Amino acid sequence: MEPDYLATVLLSSLSSASILLIATLGLAVVYGLMGVINLAHGEFLMVGAYSALTATQIGIPYVLAIPVAVMITMLIGGVVEVLVVRRLYGRLFDTMLATWGLGMVFNQGAVLLFGTVSPGIGMPQYSIRIGEFSLAAYPLAMIAVAAGTLAFVYLLLTRTVYGMKARASIQEPEMAQAIGIDSSRINMLTFAIGTGLAGFAGAVLLPIIPATPSMGLFFAVKGFLTVVVAGPVALTGTALTAVGLGGGASVTASFMTSVIGDVFFFLATALLLWLYPLGISSKWRRKL
Amino acid sequence: MFKISNATGGYGKTIIIRDVSISVKTGEAVALLGRNGVGKTTLMRFATGLIPSKSGLVEIDDRTAPPAPAKRARMGLGYVPQGRFVFPRMSVAENIAVAAASNGHDAKETIAELLLDFPLLKPKVDDLAGGLSGGQQQILALARALAIKPKILLLDEPTEGVQPSIIDEMAGVLKRMNTERGIAILIAEQNLDFCLSIADRAYVMEKGSIRMETDRDRLRHDKALQQELLGV
Amino acid sequence: MSEKLFSSSGLIFPAIATLLAVALAGHIDPYLAFVATSWVIFGLLGLSLDIIWGRGGFLSLAQTAFYGLGGYLGSVVAINMAPTTGLTLVWALPAGAAFGALVAAALGYVIFFARMGDLQSTILSYTFTLLLWSVTQTFKLDVGAADIGGDNGLANIPGIVLGLGADSDALGPNAAFVTVVLLSASIYFVTRWLMRSNFGRIVDCIRIDIEKTELLGYDIRKYQVINFAYSGAVAGVAGALFGLWANYLNPSIFSVQEALLVPIYVLIGGLGTLAGPFLGAIGIGWLSFWLGGGTVGGQTTLILGAVLVLLVLFLQNGFLGAIGGFWKRFLPDPNDAARNTGAVKIDTAVLESILIDAERQAGPAKPLLTEDLLKRFGGVIPVNKVSRHFVEGKPHALIGPNGAGKSSFLKTCVGLYRPEGGTIRLGSDEIANVAVFDRVRRGLGVKNQKPQVFGELTVLDNLWTAAFARTRDDVRAREISQKVLGMLGLEAQSKVQADALSHGQQQWLDIGMVLCLAPRVVLLDEPAAGMTNEETRELSLLVRTLARHTTVVVVEHDMEFVRTLEGHVTVLHQGKLFAEGDIDSLRLNDAVLDIYLGRGEHV
Repeated sequence: MEPDYLATVLLSSLSSASILLIATLGLAVVYGLMGVINLAHGEFLMVGAYSALTATQIGIPYVLAIPVAVMITMLIGGVVEVLVVRRLYGRLFDTMLATWGLGMVFNQGAVLLFGTVSPGIGMPQYSIRIGEFSLAAYPLAMIAVAAGTLAFVYLLLTRTVYGMKARASIQEPEMAQAIGIDSSRINMLTFAIGTGLAGFAGAVLLPIIPATPSMGLFFAVKGFLTVVVAGPVALTGTALTAVGLGGGASVTASFMTSVIGDVFFFLATALLLWLYPLGISSKWRRKL
Repeated sequence: MFKISNATGGYGKTIIIRDVSISVKTGEAVALLGRNGVGKTTLMRFATGLIPSKSGLVEIDDRTAPPAPAKRARMGLGYVPQGRFVFPRMSVAENIAVAAASNGHDAKETIAELLLDFPLLKPKVDDLAGGLSGGQQQILALARALAIKPKILLLDEPTEGVQPSIIDEMAGVLKRMNTERGIAILIAEQNLDFCLSIADRAYVMEKGSIRMETDRDRLRHDKALQQELLGV
Repeated sequence: MSEKLFSSSGLIFPAIATLLAVALAGHIDPYLAFVATSWVIFGLLGLSLDIIWGRGGFLSLAQTAFYGLGGYLGSVVAINMAPTTGLTLVWALPAGAAFGALVAAALGYVIFFARMGDLQSTILSYTFTLLLWSVTQTFKLDVGAADIGGDNGLANIPGIVLGLGADSDALGPNAAFVTVVLLSASIYFVTRWLMRSNFGRIVDCIRIDIEKTELLGYDIRKYQVINFAYSGAVAGVAGALFGLWANYLNPSIFSVQEALLVPIYVLIGGLGTLAGPFLGAIGIGWLSFWLGGGTVGGQTTLILGAVLVLLVLFLQNGFLGAIGGFWKRFLPDPNDAARNTGAVKIDTAVLESILIDAERQAGPAKPLLTEDLLKRFGGVIPVNKVSRHFVEGKPHALIGPNGAGKSSFLKTCVGLYRPEGGTIRLGSDEIANVAVFDRVRRGLGVKNQKPQVFGELTVLDNLWTAAFARTRDDVRAREISQKVLGMLGLEAQSKVQADALSHGQQQWLDIGMVLCLAPRVVLLDEPAAGMTNEETRELSLLVRTLARHTTVVVVEHDMEFVRTLEGHVTVLHQGKLFAEGDIDSLRLNDAVLDIYLGRGEHV
């Protein structure tokens, strides 16, 4: 096999894995710090994408449309936390079902508002060449975006007072309050950061994945599997799992068909859960 | 300084404590005694605001305490719960730092100070709290409560499941905090000897109410009272 | 009267509903009958989830996988057999049931024997469904007359044919409706009977406290796999019926939307009620039917989503649960008796007779022996080559500083931890590689620090469940549990739910359950924790009496309690044996004072 082809496959697989990681980080934050599986995560991603799209349509440059999308999804996330999620802490499966119901509402809402197809955004297409192969530049840039976002979230949660408070609030909610942490505000912020990250993903991936009401579903499903396989050490575990599962599936898909790539993803998930019944990081002695 | 007046509360519809009033003066150490299930833990949680009050009032530093536990902590109420409840996936240093920072104290300084008070924690400072032994976790829970620089410290069964030698050390630290730094202490305990080594005065609870108030000497010498009240 | 009606409401009301449906079937619009048939089929699918989720405690998102697989296989069989024999039901249903059960058993084997966490189990079951979804998109296979055509689906499935022979016709919509209703009702009644049998009791116990159920000696994983296989069979039957009803199947049966719709049926009707899922499915079906004809047309998803959120937030136990809760308010509360319990006083004569009975049935006490027992966690070695021989006669107390490895030693003996080296012998059996439940069956009785009782079960049922684990005989289990109940002085509370008892009474009930097992070796982890001094005294008496008949090992921090046991004391330190003797000689041992007991400078 030609080295150029191999390099192309590896680079594009790494970029697929990075895209998965970007789409999953918000889920990992919410699960890792709050013990909540947000089944509406995919729909928040979709809301982010539509927000960015609408922003560009009214003339805001794409670079500024991304923060707009983050703000909007954070806001909606905050409201959802107050109205729904807050009442269900400690009831894992109830939160899953409630956020899933919410996801259905968002999804149908988007169908009503935007219809089922929508225009992509016009972005100049750059590409790079490796030997005789050519790769689109934007997906490759996602590798850097994924690394940057991961580093940002990691530092935010381990090096700041907010991060300490957020972790304390989920680990022992009552004691967090008893030592002076306003847990309900912290939890609202954490959930909003999680949904904001979903919104960021939707917006930043918009040039690759056009906005449709059901765009989030595919990512969300793979995201749940990734996060659950990762286990309790949410960030490091998720990064590793996303690269392993997403990258592996993409490599498999390049050599075979995309269905076999998906089959690889699901089979690898099943195998890892079988080997690590509580997630791959269940025995790691790390904070996040 | 610290006062609970006419406290009534419990879990859900069940009322566990009825019309309880106690007070702790500045710099005083008071014990809360009584058999299992008389409502000591409930009273402690009532004082911290972790269970909603049916009626009654809590005063900290002579001011009426608002219902939110976080606000009470910031008024100077330190709490060491039964069962420790340290933050397991945070380091020892972070457990202390988060308590200090949440109350506007400098985290690094507080850690340095508390490590002097608790040399036992020094070699463990970067370890995750969940990996500590029960006794070490108890010490950490105490250090965490002290990190908020409390005026009154509530301790709920601090000796439960802790080896005798660490109990001994804990008694020494508590006495020092009380006499040298003037931190008032309210301590609920089964271990009478431990209690008597710290507290000068005691409330005895029975069936969710205060049965009597007594002092150290009377408790220590009156075997009949010990037998009757505590089943010792 | 009212109480009797309440306890048999799951029999009477579904029977009335079935009769009504059958009676009315001939008079309703054929199109409505046709659509309503699918609601009943979805109800059956919901029932399959309620079996494994509401009763078994595992939220399986693979029910649609068993449903789809059962549907495909049942249909393939029906397509091939119907042209010559007719009678599609007789072919399709058993094929669907068998396939569903088989696949569920295989998946359950992986999930339960790997001891996965709840969330991981759910996600794995979901992964399984999604895997089928992707695979079936391109899966093409011709089986005789049946062409499975990937995303083109499987067409030409015959309808419900009851007649014999090639020229029998499929039933009309109204007759098909009656058939499906009767079939579903019989599956419901069989399921209800099963869940109220001894099997169902143990399935309930596993949901409430899986560790305790295993510590009673039940082979929990076997029960879980069987229960899951049964739920898979029910789902498979539902799938086969669906194939016959729709005459067409495609991979969307495995889709995400389908998988997540099933929990809604269960939640709306009431989790664990068995009849609830039918109500849920019929309710949702009727809602979409009604909305479909109205102005809001396509907004079913929106409304369903909102309904789900509201249900989770405000109607936790679903429709039937809410009704049941309301009804119960008018019935006398059996838990009232919990308030009248006095302090436990052990009657040693009764205790002795229980222990002598146990000895007669289970044989003499067995020694427990460990040799070079080794347990490692990364760099930490909580049990470092411990060799110790425990026999009956006097209690053995294990003491030592926190982290000395006492609990790890106990957990290794129980089988909750796998040792890296050394042997554990129970009597003459080497048990280091024996499963927990099997160690219990060979005579190990374990009481953990926290009281472990089945909160939803009555006091007497708790004891019965323990006694039945050993005797496998309902009558004898009743005798034994009644006797232990008497010894604990809880006769008046026999019908009280265990979680209405105080913490201390739960401890005693837990100890009573251990006695029902007639153990030959008893391991007690901090049994005096959280007990009053009086209770501790009674406990000490019980432990000493027990030690005369069986081997007893106690891990304890309460030195006063250890002293009253008047037995052997072993001090562990950093995973190793550190000192041995009686408590008074250890109090004079400088090394022991330093590491553990302390010198009482402050206290």
